[in-house]
Amino acid sequence: MDATAALPTSPSATKGVSLRLVQELEGHEDRVWGVAWRPCDGSSILASCSGDQTVRIWEHSSGSSPSSAAWVCKAVLDSSHNRTVRQISWSPNGNLLASASFDATIGMWEYVGNEFSFIASFEGHENEVKSVAWNSAGTLLATCSRDKSVWIWEVLPGHEFECVSVLNGHTQDVKMVLWHPSLDILVSTSYDNTIKIWTEEGDGDDWHCAQTLGPPGSGHTSTVWAASFNATGDCMVTCSDDLTLNIWDSSADLSSANDDDSAKWKHLATISGYHDRTIYSVNWSSLNDLIASGAGDDCIRIFSKSQDGDQEGSQSYELVQKHEKAHTADVNCVQWHPKNPRLLASAGDDGIVKIWEVVGDLPHV
Amino acid sequence: MAGMPGLEIQRRGEEEDIFDSTVHLEGSHFEQGFQDGFRDGVELGKVEGREVGLKTGFELGEEIGFFRGCVNIWNAVLQKDPSAFSARAQRNIRVFDQQLNNYPLKDPQDERLQDSLDSLRSKFRLIMSLLSIQLDYQGLAKVDHTEDSLF
Repeated sequence: MDATAALPTSPSATKGVSLRLVQELEGHEDRVWGVAWRPCDGSSILASCSGDQTVRIWEHSSGSSPSSAAWVCKAVLDSSHNRTVRQISWSPNGNLLASASFDATIGMWEYVGNEFSFIASFEGHENEVKSVAWNSAGTLLATCSRDKSVWIWEVLPGHEFECVSVLNGHTQDVKMVLWHPSLDILVSTSYDNTIKIWTEEGDGDDWHCAQTLGPPGSGHTSTVWAASFNATGDCMVTCSDDLTLNIWDSSADLSSANDDDSAKWKHLATISGYHDRTIYSVNWSSLNDLIASGAGDDCIRIFSKSQDGDQEGSQSYELVQKHEKAHTADVNCVQWHPKNPRLLASAGDDGIVKIWEVVGDLPHV
Repeated sequence: MAGMPGLEIQRRGEEEDIFDSTVHLEGSHFEQGFQDGFRDGVELGKVEGREVGLKTGFELGEEIGFFRGCVNIWNAVLQKDPSAFSARAQRNIRVFDQQLNNYPLKDPQDERLQDSLDSLRSKFRLIMSLLSIQLDYQGLAKVDHTEDSLF
């Protein structure tokens, strides 16, 4: 919660974009696994979750710019889990905060009248829940676990949740689930090196795996830790223990009856040679189109699509900033602000949440 | 050339029959031993195989039987009170019932055996969640709990 002076940035910026540290948010007593910006008006609230079994809510005092060091800890949500909280996710209207925990439960907090209250805990997974995600309409929740399954829950009136489907397919620990930004298409990434795309068939809770992105051919050759869609959802980036980022064309309509290539998501590009440790998190900004990555070498990297060489069917990306020692340990999560194209939050094994401001010319802003 | 005794023996051909059995003694004993061992192994293998088959068959039957028992109870409840469970729960119980009936219990070589079982298990956990119950049956196969993960 102390204001910290901006650290000098490393001299690897190729386009004059760099990261300035806005503030270090201290308080968690163990590694911080995830951060999530509250998705509405101004988004002056950030949630973080940790190995200390709590969720912390940080708020920016109104009246000043969110890129000034005026963030304070507004609340500590504890007593809902008795093991690590691995990820949190806000509902699209910002009224609910779901938490995924190693205690095999999912917690639900309601944020109303400036207060947080714990309203539900649901069980179902057999062991550690790794991720939780809301669909764009806020009507469905997805969770995944080390038990290799992906569960889809429906949000019912009165904040009731009912399990719709238990999806098997992955052969190992499922690390993350993520919904398409506008369609009810679910993506899951796993220790089994694949990414699975799940869609609903027909109209009766019938979810199935529409496609698996993975070897042979293209895909990752080791654990896929995270995925992120661009603003429109026609492209997706995934990151892996294999030290690469993969860019995928996710525009194909998977519900189409065609079995040919036109109804499949395709591999577009591989970004390799920039990371030398596992990439744990990747996030594609819906505002400035930049891709941020957090890795096991304590660095945050920012990539941009190359302006030149924009041939049909091929894309290339370049590194525009490598910020070394972003944390003093692994960077577990990076998240772009949903409204302010210059803000980025990160979470590290060092137990600290950091807020960054991108300085320099932004490509699409 | 005054070479090794073995070499000389080879060159002299049939005259060395009397030494053949000595020279090949180790070989013939190996042969004999192999045949004996193989024969005994096949017998023992059959016995073990039968035991494993029995055990696996029993466990599978036990699990399927457990599911069947659960479905019977749920159906009995619904007969008494058709609104006892939500529409979604009822739909899933019906599907589960059907999947159970279609399970290839009689054919151990059926390729669908494992996939169908996984599907049944998932469906069962879904129903448990919908009915808000947690059943911890001893015979139920559990996910490997070797070590709680740390990341």
